[in-house]
Amino acid sequence: MEFQEKQVEAGGFSVRYWEAGQGRPVMMLDRTGGRETALHDALAEKYQVFSLELPGTGDSPANTASESISDLAVVAATAAAALTSERYTLIGSSFGANVALQQAIQSPEQVEALILISPTSIHPQDSPAADTLSDAHLAMFAHAENAGKYPIISAETFAKESELMRRLNFGVHDSETEARLGDIHCPTLAVFGQEDRLVSSQAPRVYREKIPNCNIALVYDAGHCIIGDRPEALLNTVLDYAEHWETFIVGHQSGLINP
Amino acid sequence: MKASLFAAMGYSKRATFPSTWPVSPVHADPKTSVQSYREGMDECELAEEVGFDWVSFSEHHYSGRIPTGTPAVMASAVAERCKRIKIALLGHLLPLNNPVRVAEELALLDNLTDGRLVAGFLRGTPNEDQVYTMNPAEGRGRLHEGMDLILKALTEPEPFSWEGRYYQFRTVAVWPRLVQQPLPQVIVGTRSDDTIRYAADHRLGLGVSFLPVEQTAAITDKYHAWCEEAGWSPGPDDIVYRASIYVAETDELAHKWFEGLMKSRPGPNIPLRRTVSEAIESARTGNAFDLRGVVAGSPEGDVVGNSLGINFIGGPDTVASQIKEFHDRCGVGVMDLLIQQNQVDHKAVMKEIELFGKEVIPQIREF
Repeated sequence: MEFQEKQVEAGGFSVRYWEAGQGRPVMMLDRTGGRETALHDALAEKYQVFSLELPGTGDSPANTASESISDLAVVAATAAAALTSERYTLIGSSFGANVALQQAIQSPEQVEALILISPTSIHPQDSPAADTLSDAHLAMFAHAENAGKYPIISAETFAKESELMRRLNFGVHDSETEARLGDIHCPTLAVFGQEDRLVSSQAPRVYREKIPNCNIALVYDAGHCIIGDRPEALLNTVLDYAEHWETFIVGHQSGLINP
Repeated sequence: MKASLFAAMGYSKRATFPSTWPVSPVHADPKTSVQSYREGMDECELAEEVGFDWVSFSEHHYSGRIPTGTPAVMASAVAERCKRIKIALLGHLLPLNNPVRVAEELALLDNLTDGRLVAGFLRGTPNEDQVYTMNPAEGRGRLHEGMDLILKALTEPEPFSWEGRYYQFRTVAVWPRLVQQPLPQVIVGTRSDDTIRYAADHRLGLGVSFLPVEQTAAITDKYHAWCEEAGWSPGPDDIVYRASIYVAETDELAHKWFEGLMKSRPGPNIPLRRTVSEAIESARTGNAFDLRGVVAGSPEGDVVGNSLGINFIGGPDTVASQIKEFHDRCGVGVMDLLIQQNQVDHKAVMKEIELFGKEVIPQIREF
């Protein structure tokens, strides 16, 4: 699936985004920006996918204007509103998931369903020895060999993003957001790798307990970067939830072996 | 007529649970659950002592109301404490399980109890379809094939392979062989015509749960007719009715309790979100399902399914006459009783079991 690079003005930023596919709109927020993953491609087979590069991430210029995750969520919501007038499924990964969480709280009228992949807003934990780019990259995966297969960001991008995330308290428990989880009433899925070293194993249950219509999916043998460790499992879970929302718990695969 | 205690083994603080399914395990305190299972087994022992004929177990998942997801494990524990009573598995939810494993559990239980096993098969309520992510559209097919496979596995003396629609096993050779030859009594729990006919055609018993007498009679009438077509007549133990009951010393006391119950809290439900319940029902019936056409449930989940209420309520004579109606109108020969209502504690359940044994069982024996 060919993604087209475009730009939209939102909150004082020129936000790059990549678009592909037809169907109900899906808005994706992730640090990978325009880097296509198997998840982007699979979603674009069925939906109209907009993959937004959050200001200050990827190849975008340094973002010194945003003071909080909430500020970035306003930018993302403004950009999304300019791209579609329909309600959309909002998918965020890692830092993007934290922004998506805020966006769902702040702009509930826009968000039809919410999928959080490896969010760190609630009970993050320090990754061991993640001071260098290569250590930080390795810490994202359950298996080092998968880290080698997944492209590493440049040192400049790492420095720029690290500065932004430090300023926006990425990696710090967000008690204000936790207190507002009950305001999210759309169908919500939170996906975590069982070997995620950036998030406490206590975190998933908080989403389940506090978001009224929330399912939790735990991906076995995957770290923070689930798409890097277990891409098929992530695709299966996210595509199923995007299609069926909370009814994804109803088995719909055939077990018929000999008709 | 015979009496059976439905050993629900409920978690003692079950009345405090939220009305959702599944119930989060956070509500389960191990000390309380250990004590609850001990109390449940005490209830079984007392039932045997006061004259009950069977004690039954049921497969239910993800809740403390009937927390026996692996009923054979529970049954084997009770079988060691109760030495005379029949151990009735009513039963395994076959579409969820590996049928060969079920056959092995049944064979082992029949041996451990020296031939006191009664086996039961059923499809299960819609919420239970989700337990092992079975496609609800396949439930009936899996039930029928599973029953065929289990009956074969329990009776075939030589290893065989099974090439089914849903199951494929290249070698099946179940050990140990059954004590009860050729088979223990087998009950099929159902309300569906094709499964009633399956029971009739295979000379198996029938189980009906919680329906009013006229609806139960509509089912048992079909069963009797189809048994006749198949060339046999069901015996007195072949029709089992599972009912909820509250028995007190007098009608007045029983109704006073019920009035209090109605004021404080509704009866047990099977609550699921409306979206989920309609998705399951559509899959079961083969109808189209439009997710976005269904209004999403409330944050607490919409209550669907039956509010079961109480089938039998009153003093001993009243309860006996209510039970007699099922015997006379439906041919029920075994009354399987859920005494452990949500709001009734262990002490009160023991009192009811004793009262039922002393005052009601002698009456229903005459039916």
